[in-house]
Amino acid sequence: MKLVVGIVKPFKLDDVKTAVQDFGVQGMTLTEVQGFGRQRGHTEVYRGAEYTIDFVPKVKLEVLVEDDDAQRVADKIVEAARTGKIGDGKVWILPVEGLIRIRTGEAGSDAL
Amino acid sequence: MSDAVDAALVEAFGELDATDNVALVTLGSYARRELCPGSDVDVILVHNLKGRRSVDTVRAMTERLWYPLWDAGFVTGHGARTIKESIALADDDIDALTALLDVRVIAGARELGAELERKARELAQRRRNRVLKVLVDASDHRRSRPGAIAEMLEADLKEGGGGLRDVQSFEWGGWALGAPGGSSTLIERGLLTAPDLARVEAGRELLLDIRVALQRVTTSHSDRLALQEQDAVAEQLGFASADALVHDLASAAREIAWIAGDVWSRARELVDGTDSKSAPADQAVAEGVWVRSGRVHIDTRADGSIPALRTLEAACAAAENDVPFDRTSLTRLRGTDEPSWDVWQRAGFVRLLRSGARAVPVFEALDHEGVLARLLPEWEHVRSRPQRNAYHRYTVDRHLLEAVAQCARLLDSGEEHIAPGREPTVEMVVARACRRPELLLLGALLHDIAKGMPGDHSEVGEQTAERIVRRMGFESEAREVLPWLVRNHLLMAEVATRRDLSDASVADNVAAACSGDAERLRLLYLLTIGDSKATGPAAWSPSKGALLRDLFVKAATAIERGEAKAVAADRREAMHEALGEARASAFLARLPEQYVQAFDVDTMRMHEELLRDSPTVRCERVDGGHVVITVVADDRPGLLGTLAGALTVCGLDVLEASLFGTTDGFALDVFRGADPFGRVADDDGARVTQTIERALAGDIDLAVRVDERRRAYAPITKPSPPEVRVEVNTEESETDTVVEVHTDDDVGLLYRLASAFTELDLDVRIAKVATLGKRVVDVFYVRDSADHKFDDPDDIARLRATLVDRMTG
Repeated sequence: MKLVVGIVKPFKLDDVKTAVQDFGVQGMTLTEVQGFGRQRGHTEVYRGAEYTIDFVPKVKLEVLVEDDDAQRVADKIVEAARTGKIGDGKVWILPVEGLIRIRTGEAGSDAL
Repeated sequence: MSDAVDAALVEAFGELDATDNVALVTLGSYARRELCPGSDVDVILVHNLKGRRSVDTVRAMTERLWYPLWDAGFVTGHGARTIKESIALADDDIDALTALLDVRVIAGARELGAELERKARELAQRRRNRVLKVLVDASDHRRSRPGAIAEMLEADLKEGGGGLRDVQSFEWGGWALGAPGGSSTLIERGLLTAPDLARVEAGRELLLDIRVALQRVTTSHSDRLALQEQDAVAEQLGFASADALVHDLASAAREIAWIAGDVWSRARELVDGTDSKSAPADQAVAEGVWVRSGRVHIDTRADGSIPALRTLEAACAAAENDVPFDRTSLTRLRGTDEPSWDVWQRAGFVRLLRSGARAVPVFEALDHEGVLARLLPEWEHVRSRPQRNAYHRYTVDRHLLEAVAQCARLLDSGEEHIAPGREPTVEMVVARACRRPELLLLGALLHDIAKGMPGDHSEVGEQTAERIVRRMGFESEAREVLPWLVRNHLLMAEVATRRDLSDASVADNVAAACSGDAERLRLLYLLTIGDSKATGPAAWSPSKGALLRDLFVKAATAIERGEAKAVAADRREAMHEALGEARASAFLARLPEQYVQAFDVDTMRMHEELLRDSPTVRCERVDGGHVVITVVADDRPGLLGTLAGALTVCGLDVLEASLFGTTDGFALDVFRGADPFGRVADDDGARVTQTIERALAGDIDLAVRVDERRRAYAPITKPSPPEVRVEVNTEESETDTVVEVHTDDDVGLLYRLASAFTELDLDVRIAKVATLGKRVVDVFYVRDSADHKFDDPDDIARLRATLVDRMTG
């Protein structure tokens, strides 16, 4: 099993969700996160109110999938989240050592 | 349920070699026959055996009694004590004492049980203050942790505010206050009213029913009505839906919690020994309304009715002083007239909302007596209406009040004094600029008023809000803006989180939805923040805040641009009228777009004249000790530096400079400077005109002369180098690089900065000089030698270094 992790622009979330669901993935975990990449933060001023955007708001999503599906799910996320502009985010894939569904105790692929 | 356990215990007891000296006694919920499937069975064996042998006898008895219970899976609180031991234990621990206040003998010597109960009640009375204090504190504590049942998504039926513990506390408190005991004492002492007791009793029944059903469903002893169990519990109890169940539960718990707050606040005074003799004198608030001993009192007319305005004033007094209503006065409020919504009543209502968080308990009190429904009949619909999802924390009515509180807090932040050196936040700036704060508060109160009605709650809410503001007699702007606010209250949150904010059309659409009205945008922005914060932790995060702020600033900019465009269009038209279309068009075509936005029509007409017989210099005095110097010259690099230098030599402090190049190679530069003593512009500014002409001709060594002047004005002590900040923004303008220089004011500053730009081969197109006391912010719109905006990091770094060097060197 693999864990596909993506950091995407918040407004792209619906598109990504649809793409991942269409692929047949059952579940996804979302977290609102902030960070910076090459996009960096910047300072803005509105009528004397100066505010620094050190970290840019993003959504982090995590999807558990079978080994064979990982690359394709990652590709789907990339495809759905891309705008071509700076700050589109990243997707990476991690190996998963084990998995248990808490309610039933099912383990491994059965718990997906 | 209790009977079944009783029977089992009686049977077990019967098998003992029972003596007259032993009684099987139940405590707590079991004694009250409130046993639920998951309850502990609290039983103790009371005895009056003495001597060493008794220990063994009792142990043998308890083993035979308790083991079957344990085996059957009942968790038992148990023990075997003499009455003396029990009372000693109770004296150390209030929880143990309250348990002994409800005692029931199941088997054995009745008189032992009766004696235990009597002694426990006597002890409670002796320890009156301690018991009451513990009860009051615990009741307060329950409201924050685990929280009020009426406000929680997954309520704790026992420990939650307005739960079973609150109900029991009334009984215990009554015993502490003495005969006749229990809630009857509370009524006798005027701490509790009979109708309120009836409400508590009804609430208790419902809480117990739900608890039994919950524990049946979960087969556990949980008191938490988890989201996932709500459907099953509702079905067990014959409710139409889980929503109906939660609604009724919230209503009941809200009543109990409110009554608990009411009773204990008075009990606390009893404990603290506050009495009216030492209390300060009455403080009149309005006609028939006064504050006495930290409570708001109100008078009725002879017929028992109360004018609506008086009720609103009493409510404002309670909220603004953060004090409760006197109990009798609160009951009197039921006689409140139907409001006629004249201007005073409207103002009173808005004032109440403005108190924010402190108005919440006042609204609850008004609701308790049915007054709120008279002020706002639509409230009936949202009262205790649950929102069963992980997003919402409160019932609809509580959420609306919370949103009002949050918006009031935002308005407070706008009124805050901002200490020097502290930057205000965008919210503070927007709240300060807000022109119609009452619309924000009303919008917060009404935004979800149609939740649960058929159809989209924003659309239906728009109509409902329209009816309400019409009934309340608000003027036409409010009648337009409020329904609009309700209709669009989700717009910004949705757009901010779901649309690409880097796409300019997104902000433009929001600006358009606000009809290009900056005030509407401000109201919507503040309402969105207030609404999100009032929804729950899942609805508000720094992330969402940042997105919203970004959207707001972009939409506000779009609106301002739109307003500027409208101004420009008006001025163009006025010029056409004044000069004739051909002449005006020919003149304006020579100048850049921004020119029209910078000057009024009279000034533009003057410029048109000047540009006919160029080059020329014109100097005139204007209001406020200022001079305006208009220069038309052949455009060339370094012109700004030359002019700024010449003005410095003349002794003029430049406050603002606007520079425009014409399409046919002229420069139209306008300087505004301070001349408080009228020295610069005397004799029609002939000296200024001459100096500028000589400088343009190259007859003056400006570098030397400016330096002389600077030294002449230099302070005696050498000043420390100024703090300099240079900001280069390549995003703000589509055509120019915007350079902002923050530094201390100094003689010839503009000359030196302008010279630095010339040295770097950069062309200053617009310069704004803003002097704020000692500090100066100069903004330059700059292009490179090829007349382009530049954004190369190396160029920017070089510019920055040069500017800093010129100012500190």
